Amino acid sequence: MKFVAIIRQVPDSESRLKIDGGKVDLSGATLILDQMDEYAVEEVIRLQEKHGGESVIVALGPERFEEAVRTALAMGTDRAVHLVQEGYLDPISQAQALAEVLREEAPDVVITGGQQADWDSQALGPAVAEALGWPVVAWTTALELEDGKAKAKHDLDEGAEVVRVGLPAVFTTQQGLNEPRYPTLPGIMKAKRKELKKVPVSAASKVEVLEQTIQERTRLNKVLDGTKDPQGAASELVRLLHEEAKVI
Amino acid sequence: MPIDFSLTDEQKELQKLARRFAREQIAPVAAEYDAREEVPWQVVEKLHEVGLLNAIIPEEYGGLGLGMLEEVIIGEELAWGCMGIYTIPMASDLGITPILLAGSHEQKQRFFKRLTEKPALAAFALSEPGNGSDAAALRTRAVRDGEHYVLNGTKTWISNGGEAEVVVVFATFAPELKHKGVLALVVEKGTPGFKANKLHGKMGQRASGTYELVFEDCRVPAANLLGAEGDGFRIAMNTLNKTRIPVAAGSVGVARRALEEATKYAKEREAFGKPIAELQAIQFKLAEMSMGVETARAYTYYAAWLTDQGLPQAHAAAIAKAYASEMAFEAANQAIQIHGGYGYMHEYPVEKLLRDVKLNQIYEGTNEIQRLIIARHILSQ
Ligand SMILES: Cc1cc2nc3c(=O)[nH]c(=O)nc-3n(C[C@H](O)[C@H](O)[C@H](O)COP(=O)(O)OP(=O)(O)OC[C@H]3O[C@@H](n4cnc5c(N)ncnc54)[C@H](O)[C@@H]3O)c2cc1C
Ligand SMILES: Cc1cc2nc3c(=O)[nH]c(=O)nc-3n(C[C@H](O)[C@H](O)[C@H](O)COP(=O)(O)OP(=O)(O)OC[C@H]3O[C@@H](n4cnc5c(N)ncnc54)[C@H](O)[C@@H]3O)c2cc1C
Repeated sequence: MKFVAIIRQVPDSESRLKIDGGKVDLSGATLILDQMDEYAVEEVIRLQEKHGGESVIVALGPERFEEAVRTALAMGTDRAVHLVQEGYLDPISQAQALAEVLREEAPDVVITGGQQADWDSQALGPAVAEALGWPVVAWTTALELEDGKAKAKHDLDEGAEVVRVGLPAVFTTQQGLNEPRYPTLPGIMKAKRKELKKVPVSAASKVEVLEQTIQERTRLNKVLDGTKDPQGAASELVRLLHEEAKVI
Repeated sequence: MPIDFSLTDEQKELQKLARRFAREQIAPVAAEYDAREEVPWQVVEKLHEVGLLNAIIPEEYGGLGLGMLEEVIIGEELAWGCMGIYTIPMASDLGITPILLAGSHEQKQRFFKRLTEKPALAAFALSEPGNGSDAAALRTRAVRDGEHYVLNGTKTWISNGGEAEVVVVFATFAPELKHKGVLALVVEKGTPGFKANKLHGKMGQRASGTYELVFEDCRVPAANLLGAEGDGFRIAMNTLNKTRIPVAAGSVGVARRALEEATKYAKEREAFGKPIAELQAIQFKLAEMSMGVETARAYTYYAAWLTDQGLPQAHAAAIAKAYASEMAFEAANQAIQIHGGYGYMHEYPVEKLLRDVKLNQIYEGTNEIQRLIIARHILSQ
């Protein structure tokens, strides 16, 4: 069987980003393999360990993406195809370019990040599935293959669902899908010798970015007094975190 | 264009791996194991898992054959997380190096296998209760008896001594010959007559295990002798000339941590109506720290480069070790100062940096001994 992970390189979440002339300036940022895509890389390695076959990395992005591709190879995948495209490309155009390679590769399973840390489109996985005419399962938290089909659990807005889909299919990742391994030192040394095919592309973006800004979060400065009624304050805190902040 | 400061892609990758490992696996447990004065064995296991443990062992013996430059790149990162925890793999490399330098093919196969097939450590036992700097005055006796040496004596301050699968022990077979009477023997864990007692009450680096090793009629196969009788002192010195460079790298890691913590704190802490980072007195301290980190790293890389080129490096290793450890001690001291009263408390990570890095001025040859080596180099020219 053949398993493909589509990956991207994004700024580390701890990086301080600057806006320069209406554009994000990445020069001071540490760039890493997108953590949502890391789940995809881990999952294709696990699928290969269980079912045999091949694990392949596919990336579309500028030359600098190579570093993230090497990281994915160092984690243990077999080889990579890097579509080299400088400049912004919207997710639909990306998906069309990726679909060409994927049709050629003819994998059984394609996995990619549920969302992209930089542009946060959440569209890449579904758009790739659409371009290929394959089924898609978004926000996957568990994935198993049986009898040429996949059984997957995935998150919905207010719950979860277990589904069965025919292969080939596209899956997007959700936190909890797995615990990504570290690239190992022997893996890093081997990665250098693994096949990394570069294919230049020059697709035209259907969307043009005119100006970028960074979201400024305003704080509510809400303070709960826990000195008089600690239990009450704790329940109120839980209620606020659940109902207003929606983080738990 | 013979000079080149760039790292290879592979070196950048392993730096990234070590940095992430230190941030995710070491830094979060550092304070806890410091307080408990215990070895975080799960970190040793994970180091093994990702290939960062005993990686200087050549590929033909199951290791990765890392060079000194790779070792110092990794060392800086791991020590950024915790110098005490970094001492565990560092002291293991210290135990591996004499075998690398003087072991036969058969010995390398036999001992290195045990250090690569599972998470395992090596140790280096030179110091004794009665002598540290004056290593040639060691008293542990090795008496040949047929196919064995019988060891009697006590070693002390031995990092990893109780956990180690193999310990390289330096002993004398002829005290009257002074340093020419020293030999190096590999003693395996569990050899009857060999006991390790953990030392408690260390000021810093408390996550690294330090032991007293007692040998009582301990019979060690003569097949475990490294080189020939009389080679021991030279083996020990050649080992330390290399392994001091990772001590320098660890110091750079501690200093970088001190600078980062101090910078973060200075931006947040306000006094007299503004962040203290806006005060020139604080800015100059940060600038001094940065000058130290950059120069010590550059020189440590140079000493590592000499080693990898096979060029004489004893004086450079001594300069790197003494300079970097003193710079790092001062950086930790200033980081505490910038933190004011909070810097003095366990709650912030900076007081531990100072306690930990103090040892870098003492072990693998005190900084006074480094100055002797440097002066000898100057005067011999
Ligand atoms: C936590 C810890 C871990 C250690 N790990 C190991 C290990 O794994 N293996 C190992 O073999 N050892 C280890 N050591 C021992 C360490 O290497 C010695 O402590 C060190 O070499 C100093 O020896 P000493 O303590 O006997 O000091 P001494 O030699 O007694 O020195 C005392 C003072 O005199 C100074 N001095 C001595 N001779 C001279 C001279 N000729 N000129 C100028 N000044 C001089 C010294 O610099 C020092 O300031 C460790 C020590 C500690 C504390
Ligand atoms: C164990 C302990 C016992 C103590 N006991 C007492 C006690 O009994 N009574 C009591 O009242 N206090 C006590 N203190 C508090 C102590 O006096 C303060 O920690 C000290 O005054 C520094 O204040 P701070 O910690 O708020 O540091 P900060 O004032 O926040 O200073 C942080 C750093 O900025 C520097 N800085 C601040 N302003 C300037 C400036 N204008 N120019 C240049 N540099 C500047 C400081 O020198 C320091 O390096 C104690 C502290 C400790 C740790």
